Amino acid sequence: MNELVLQHYLAVGGILFVIGLIGFMTRRNLIVMFLCTELMFQGCALNLIAFGAYHGNLGGQVFTIMVLVIAAAEASLALGLVVLLFRHKHTLDANAWRELKG
Amino acid sequence: METFLLDWSILIPLLPLVGAIVSGLLMTGQRKPAAHWPIWIGVGYAAVHSLLLLYGMISHASAAHGQAVGFVEPYWTWFAAGDFVIRWGYFFDPLTTVMLCVVCGIGFLITVFAAGYMKGEAGYFRFFAYLGLFIFSMTNLVMGENLIMLYLGWEGVGVCSYLLIGYYYEKPAAREAAKKAFLVNRVGDFGFALGIMLCFLAFGTVSYFGEGVGTGTGLLEIAGGAREGLTPFQITALQWIPFLLMLGAFGKSAQFPLHVWLPDAMEGPTPVSALIHAATMVTAGVYMIARCGTLFVGNEAAMTTVATVGAITALLGATIALRQFDLKKVFAYSTISQLGFMFVAVGVLAPVAGVFHLVTHAFFKALLFLSSGVVMHAMLGHLDMRKMSGLKHVLPKTRWLMLIGCLALAGVPLLSGFFSKDEIVAAAWHRHVALGAVLLFTAFLTAYYTFRLYFRVFEGPQLVPTTPAEDHHAPADDHAHSAHGHGHDDHGHGHDAHHHNHEPAIMIVPLVVLAIGAVLAGYLNFPVHALGHFLDQSPSYQQTEALAHSLYGEPEPTDPAAHYAFMGISAAIAIVGIALAYWLHLKDRRRGEALPQKAAPISRLLEAKYWIDEIYQGYIVEPLRWIGRASFVFDRFVIDGLVWIVGFVPQLGAFVLKYTTQRGYLQGYAVTMLLCIAVILLLIFGLW
Repeated sequence: MNELVLQHYLAVGGILFVIGLIGFMTRRNLIVMFLCTELMFQGCALNLIAFGAYHGNLGGQVFTIMVLVIAAAEASLALGLVVLLFRHKHTLDANAWRELKG
Repeated sequence: METFLLDWSILIPLLPLVGAIVSGLLMTGQRKPAAHWPIWIGVGYAAVHSLLLLYGMISHASAAHGQAVGFVEPYWTWFAAGDFVIRWGYFFDPLTTVMLCVVCGIGFLITVFAAGYMKGEAGYFRFFAYLGLFIFSMTNLVMGENLIMLYLGWEGVGVCSYLLIGYYYEKPAAREAAKKAFLVNRVGDFGFALGIMLCFLAFGTVSYFGEGVGTGTGLLEIAGGAREGLTPFQITALQWIPFLLMLGAFGKSAQFPLHVWLPDAMEGPTPVSALIHAATMVTAGVYMIARCGTLFVGNEAAMTTVATVGAITALLGATIALRQFDLKKVFAYSTISQLGFMFVAVGVLAPVAGVFHLVTHAFFKALLFLSSGVVMHAMLGHLDMRKMSGLKHVLPKTRWLMLIGCLALAGVPLLSGFFSKDEIVAAAWHRHVALGAVLLFTAFLTAYYTFRLYFRVFEGPQLVPTTPAEDHHAPADDHAHSAHGHGHDDHGHGHDAHHHNHEPAIMIVPLVVLAIGAVLAGYLNFPVHALGHFLDQSPSYQQTEALAHSLYGEPEPTDPAAHYAFMGISAAIAIVGIALAYWLHLKDRRRGEALPQKAAPISRLLEAKYWIDEIYQGYIVEPLRWIGRASFVFDRFVIDGLVWIVGFVPQLGAFVLKYTTQRGYLQGYAVTMLLCIAVILLLIFGLW
């Protein structure tokens, strides 16, 4: 069978990213939108790891760990915010907060 | 010459400046009544130093046996830009020391008088601060060793004049007069500044004598050198420089057609009129032409212009003074007229006579102004000679002082004005008969209008105004409570309402000193030409004379007999003028009052001051105002419109963007971001 090459990893990473992007642009639920951003993160992380393996160094993995750590920190913050927003309006609809446009 | 006098000469301007700062900033509130002390000390020191300098210069000059005497005292480089290096330095020669003594000596007497005159005024400290600033500027003007220092002082005295004319700034007339004086002077100073620039362009320096007299490094020596040694540009520049410098002199010294500010300047307090607008500042133009004689003398047209304008101004001032009723206005026009005499003197190459008249005029005109200040004080602010009469019993001391001043101004023999005026008339006659005749006629008018004033105000039946003038600045406390200023004259006028002492010692003593000067100053130059010989040792004079001789040949020696004949004619003219005034204004006043009706057109012409103010208003001020309005409209609608559009276009763009894209949908923002990234990527990679 065909061996797994760089292009395959990149394709999976790209697909993950695009799924996340489309999800972000089409859904209005704050938590789903947040999950979609996580998906985009993972697509990027997969790309980094694939390039790292391809070049035979650890740079990609180092960056990926960084991304994961930041994503974790950001997730805790973002979910906290979402909870706060929900308490205000009892809805998770992003459009409920349109008046914030200024 | 003691060198320490020269080395420390910077104290002459400096101490009045320090005094001005102390008075202006510290002598407020409770300390206000002592505000004159810093100025007295500063100006008093300057006066003593000036007198010592004069003494040193006289002994040095007599030891030099007719050689030019001049010392350059450079202190530091004031500023430098390429070749344009200006030193803060002073130049001392007989002319400087004489001017310094006039400025600081008479200045000191007037500051003493002012302490009595201005007593109790709200702006007492402000007034003295300005006076100190004025002495600082004026001493820089006469001591400066280059034209830029002269210009510094020139503008400085202009500012002080503006501030002091507008001293009663709550009075609209004072504000207007201050602005008028400043603006009219700007016209002259514009030409003056151009003249200085042209001097630098043509000769590469604006220092009078550069490194020293005789080194040939200074402007006056280069310009006064042989014509063959000059480049064509320098020759051309010398055609223009005198006319440009002259403009400045005409403005500052109130010569026709820039004389209009001086009569209005009488809105200032009387000591200011005496110091700035009679004795010192207005003579700056005469000083400048005397100092820069070598720049003028090579240009016959310029000299003729100076003399002609001087003669026109002398006649104009004297004729207008005939129909003035305000004491100070009469003396203001008289000052204009006497300044005209000085200009004629410098214009006909008799700068010694001009400076001689400057000195004597400073004494008697300061005396006259201050005496009219005493009158104004006593008459509750009134200065109109129709409202007062026979004051010789009300103001017995002032009457004698005023009489001395009037006799000197009228040119009565043996008093100072006679000798100096006579020298000018003789020099003018020698140059051109018409000039001399105009001046003789002016001298007649002078005697007449001076004694018209004297006979009206001090002789005849007693008439004292009882209500204060509208703009009378009466201090709250009258002289009875004053700490100083109790003369011991009899209070022989107990019938009127105000029975306090009108003539406090602090005001009378300086006047007595001035009166002594007004009587005796003439003997500085008669019968021995002591002042003349002394001034002739000024390098400016010597070079001017040398250049004049090389250009026009040796002057014919004047006949002493002719000179004495002239003195006789002048004396007769003065006495005829006084007799006419006596006949028309004391013996039979109705005849004097009927005279204007008999010559109504002339009288109207003189009362309207030849309509010069109206002509300026109609042909200069109004057109300028219309240009101003047009510019305002252009600025408001065209320039401002353009600026507004520049601001409005981005605003409009932002407005459109805001309402089309910023709608609050998070997804919308995401799509926009994505599209923009796509466009950027396309630009980077797709169109590579």
